[in-house]
Amino acid sequence: MPRLRWLIQTLVAFGTNAYLLFPFGGSVIYQGPLKAVCHPGLNCYSCPGALLSCPVGAMQNFMAGLRFSTGGLPQAGVLVIGYLGFIGSVVGRLTCGWMCPFGFIQDLIYKIPTRKFSLWAPLRWVKYAVMVVMVVAMPIFLVDNSGLGHPWFCKLICPAGTLEGAMPLLLLKPSLWGTVGLYFWNKLTLLILILIAAILISRFFCRVICPLGAFYSLFSRISLVQLEFVEGNCVECGACTRKCPTGVVPNKEFDSRECIMCLKCVDSCHFRALDFGIRRPPGKPVKVKRATSPL
Amino acid sequence: MPKRFLWLIILFTAFFIMGINTGDLIYLLNLGNTICLACIGVG
Repeated sequence: MPRLRWLIQTLVAFGTNAYLLFPFGGSVIYQGPLKAVCHPGLNCYSCPGALLSCPVGAMQNFMAGLRFSTGGLPQAGVLVIGYLGFIGSVVGRLTCGWMCPFGFIQDLIYKIPTRKFSLWAPLRWVKYAVMVVMVVAMPIFLVDNSGLGHPWFCKLICPAGTLEGAMPLLLLKPSLWGTVGLYFWNKLTLLILILIAAILISRFFCRVICPLGAFYSLFSRISLVQLEFVEGNCVECGACTRKCPTGVVPNKEFDSRECIMCLKCVDSCHFRALDFGIRRPPGKPVKVKRATSPL
Repeated sequence: MPKRFLWLIILFTAFFIMGINTGDLIYLLNLGNTICLACIGVG
């Protein structure tokens, strides 16, 4: 299973950033019809290779331009909500564990051998505040003189934007250097801090800041697929807890909002107390599987 | 399969279709085809 996850993460990261004409005199970013589709994970649409749009950037821009909607129904980004909601309803935060390019980067840099730390649990609530305040409220209410809002999360925080968008574009188009200001240096500093934190604390950005992870986590307890726990098979050895990259205790909170369904806990359990499958209707018990000896 | 899941799928599919009809798709396409200055840190 871990190899399959690495393979899918690699394929998604490179497959959705597969525009290779940018160094050869074409457009510096991809400008084709695929940009009408959002990436399921956090991936900057200004990355020179990006084929898909960023859902967080798109949502903020819809909010920022909400008051300029004319006629009929307002353009409130219901397309993006529908798209992300559909994904969340089916797979929940599995997207974070298997398909997010920035999550993949964090998985890679966490492999750097150094002393590791655990996350102070209350920090996980920060991402919900980021989602509500920076992705929805600030773009709607914090407007400039012309009445136009801004994508404040992209502007102030987004490390994916700095790493995948700003840095390659500034290298490819030196003329952009004249336009960068305090916002860029603020974001660069934050990117460095977030990457250092992600080396020391597993999936730091996903657990503390990511507004997309916060949105998907709303579906963790109702999504179609879920982790299953067979209580009778559990010997409480703690192997699943030691393997979990997001600090979940799988045998106590198997439908935790923090679970990114990487399935490391399922692999680590020799007693088949954890499994992965389709959610059953309430009241229908999980099928008990025969435990196998780890010896 | 829980009923709640089916209702969510219907709801979000309706949102998606509504978004197509309010012009969100064109807006998204235009947005994705321009360099995001906020991402770069211009301002």
